Amino acid sequence: MTAIRTFAIVAAAAMLAMPSVAAAPDTIKARQANFKAMARSMKMISDELRKDTPAFAVVRREAAALDRAAGRVGRSFPRGTGAEAGVKTGARAAIWAEPAAFQAASAKLTGATKGLRAAAAGTDTGRIRAALGATGATCKGCHDQFRVQD
Amino acid sequence: MRGATTIRLWDWPVRLTHWVIVLLLPALWWTAEEGLIEQHRVLGLTLLGFVIFRLIWGFVGSESARFRNFLRGPGTVRAYLRGQATARPGHNPLGGWSVAALLAVLSAQLALGLVAQDEYGLVAGPLNPLLSFDAAETATEWHEALFNAVLALTALHVAAILYYLIVKRDNLVGPMVTGHRRADAGVEPLRPAARWAWAAAMLGAAAMVGWIALGAPPLT
Repeated sequence: MTAIRTFAIVAAAAMLAMPSVAAAPDTIKARQANFKAMARSMKMISDELRKDTPAFAVVRREAAALDRAAGRVGRSFPRGTGAEAGVKTGARAAIWAEPAAFQAASAKLTGATKGLRAAAAGTDTGRIRAALGATGATCKGCHDQFRVQD
Repeated sequence: MRGATTIRLWDWPVRLTHWVIVLLLPALWWTAEEGLIEQHRVLGLTLLGFVIFRLIWGFVGSESARFRNFLRGPGTVRAYLRGQATARPGHNPLGGWSVAALLAVLSAQLALGLVAQDEYGLVAGPLNPLLSFDAAETATEWHEALFNAVLALTALHVAAILYYLIVKRDNLVGPMVTGHRRADAGVEPLRPAARWAWAAAMLGAAAMVGWIALGAPPLT
């Protein structure tokens, strides 16, 4: 009886886990695309800020996109999507070994992108530039800790 | 063969540009390695100025600096390789092309650096806003890869100088420092550049770099 229950629980757990294991390469590709989209948004905002008359609508749009993408980062690293997935990934094992620290890092990112989004609601380029720099700093800070150095 | 007389061979703009490149290349490599991108950018723009200056000097400089005097046709290069000596002092027909290759690779490397960016699209060369993130990312990868060509050509350049020094007993470094070398009696002195050509070339190069550093704004 206990053996059957144990088996059932293990089987159920395995079935639950299976889709995510099978989808690991897709998960990795999706999160890489998400990061790339964030970098694109960063550049578009940065490009606008260099102009004499920035298009603040573009800045607002990209800040919002960046903030949404940032919100996905914390849940883009399910177990099984590290180097063991067999797809090229820069994700370090520390992401899963120190989940609390990783979640704190991703919270720092969303905090920064919220700040950028708030700054982008106005037209104070100095404030937007500072918020963009702060966002970039959280990118780099997390990469130093949780991404393979090349 | 040589030694009868001393002639002026390299004018000071050629020598200055040469030694600035010698100093800046390792500095550029080091700042890139250390991630000192702001310093890398300033040094890169400085080198750009000197390379543009050298390119202008290739048209208005003294005889040994001018491209049309040291970029020779394939027939002349073949004759030189068969052992026929060249008439005028300066770059030999093969060495002239190696100088052109060095300048071309440096120019390409500088151009790529102007549009390169960090991976966040945040710190970037002055012309980066002209490109999309993806195009600039590709340019950045090329900028990293092309440094190997810069290294290879530099190594070839140094190897050739060592060959001249050790095998041919001809010190090419001294003339690049002093500007003078020994030559046969009867070799006519090289034609110097026009008096103020260097000032015009420097102004032109500085204006060009300034304009690029500002992101190449429209000139209206």
